[in-house]
Amino acid sequence: MIRVVLRREWHGFFRGPSAWLVLALVQFLVAFQFLSLIEQFEAALPRLARLAQAPGLTELVVQPLMMMVAMLLLFVVPMLSMSAIAGERRSNTLCLWQSAPISLRALVLGKWLGIVSVLALIWLSTALLCLTLAWGTELDWKALFSALLGLALLILATSAIGLFFSTLASLPALAALGSFTCLLFLWVCDWSGQFDDAPTVFTRLSMMAHFQPLARGLMDTADIGYFLVLTLGALLSSIWRLDGERRAL
Amino acid sequence: MSADILLEARGLSCVYGRRLVVDGLSLQLRRGECLGLLGLNGAGKSTVLKLLSGVLAPHAGEVLIDGVNLARRPLRGKRQLGYLPDVPPLYPDMTVQEFLLLCADLHAVPAPAQAVPEALHRCDLQEVGGRLIRHLSKGYQQRVGIAQAIVHQPAVLVLDEPTVGLDPRQLFEVRQLVRALARDRAVIFSSHQLREVEHTCTRVVMLHGGRIVHESSLLQSAIVFQLRLREAGPQVAQALAALSGVLKAEALDVGDWQVTVEDAAVSERVAACVVAAGWGLRELRRLETPLEQTFLALTAGDEAA
Repeated sequence: MIRVVLRREWHGFFRGPSAWLVLALVQFLVAFQFLSLIEQFEAALPRLARLAQAPGLTELVVQPLMMMVAMLLLFVVPMLSMSAIAGERRSNTLCLWQSAPISLRALVLGKWLGIVSVLALIWLSTALLCLTLAWGTELDWKALFSALLGLALLILATSAIGLFFSTLASLPALAALGSFTCLLFLWVCDWSGQFDDAPTVFTRLSMMAHFQPLARGLMDTADIGYFLVLTLGALLSSIWRLDGERRAL
Repeated sequence: MSADILLEARGLSCVYGRRLVVDGLSLQLRRGECLGLLGLNGAGKSTVLKLLSGVLAPHAGEVLIDGVNLARRPLRGKRQLGYLPDVPPLYPDMTVQEFLLLCADLHAVPAPAQAVPEALHRCDLQEVGGRLIRHLSKGYQQRVGIAQAIVHQPAVLVLDEPTVGLDPRQLFEVRQLVRALARDRAVIFSSHQLREVEHTCTRVVMLHGGRIVHESSLLQSAIVFQLRLREAGPQVAQALAALSGVLKAEALDVGDWQVTVEDAAVSERVAACVVAAGWGLRELRRLETPLEQTFLALTAGDEAA
């Protein structure tokens, strides 16, 4: 049944121009940033050559590129996820799924995988851009793997959060606003405590604080666990919300 | 006979906030029956249909679809159920065929390649099968809504105001379709139109304040006509009463007659008799039916609510 939901999601995304436009815009911005970072690296090469332990291409191009893609996700995810449930509710197609022999779990998973599959194209294009660097230089494969894993986990978590906000609203624009606000908060919430030595509750909550180490190539199970818990929590909350709606709570 | 019960609701109740929208509703529907659900706005018709189709879960009571408890085995129960809400659940960016194929897959139809053309044929949609749903007229969109509800050949069909917003021609066609569908399954549909229910259903249930306030069969429901003739003699009443299908003929005033007949087709015989006798037919008008009288009596004083 997840397959049927996924098929409908792909149809909705790729039959209209909106998903293509978003993907094209993101691709343009990522490629532009990628070229800018390579140019900056080339310009900095003479100075880097004088350093004993100079940072490599992975640290100076891949890491900033990942941070930029992560920032773009804050805007792209609300746009792609807002209609997942809110749009169905608004056009009255939600009852098509509610009256069909499909569980809420399969519906939520199908919707989530639909959003993830579109964002996976952004992940794939970013990964391919980074891999092109391997033609001209030696990459830190472990760091690259960690950064791509971090980006993948970020996609899973942000998509689930976007979907959850879509289950809360009747208007897709409200869902987008809600998920954008939540994602932005999770991104910047550790700014207030960034000068403290001990990690605060905001540091533990912050997506940035958990993504940055992965983007730098530092794989920590606590960071991976954070994204997995966030993803699972948002998906379960979405199921709980739709079940509450069915029970007219 | 109990094996033929395809839909059964036992003591259904539903609360929105602090308001009891459906209050202990129980009903049974057998194969071949078409049940009309009547009621004023806010009587709870749509909520009842949502409860019956599993879109909403009741706060008390249970729903059985072909003997399967919808709360305990929702997926199995919903396989036997087709639901059309008041606004058809359609994806405007899909063609009719793509949409019906999606619905067939959603209900795990074993042979969707055969089920979709059959649903298209039953709803007379073959000509528009390849067109985008957003380009269809309201009547066709309503038919697509019905087609999605029957594509998986459900035993129970739940239709929420399937004829709303249709022109008279479309109204007639949808009415015919619903009647045909009711032959081999159980159909329940809500409507504001009493005539609609009279023409289509075999049984009627009236809801008021979330409760069933009236339930009756429509198979033997009589129709009352008023006749205005130039002729006013007693032979008119005798001749009309002698016609097959005429239950009663009585004089109301000079030249005015009230004729009670078994069904609408008898009115043709009444008109033919009057014309043949040369009594000068000036008016033949259908009066309020017993159903209308019952409905008005039960809902009197509550229109504002």
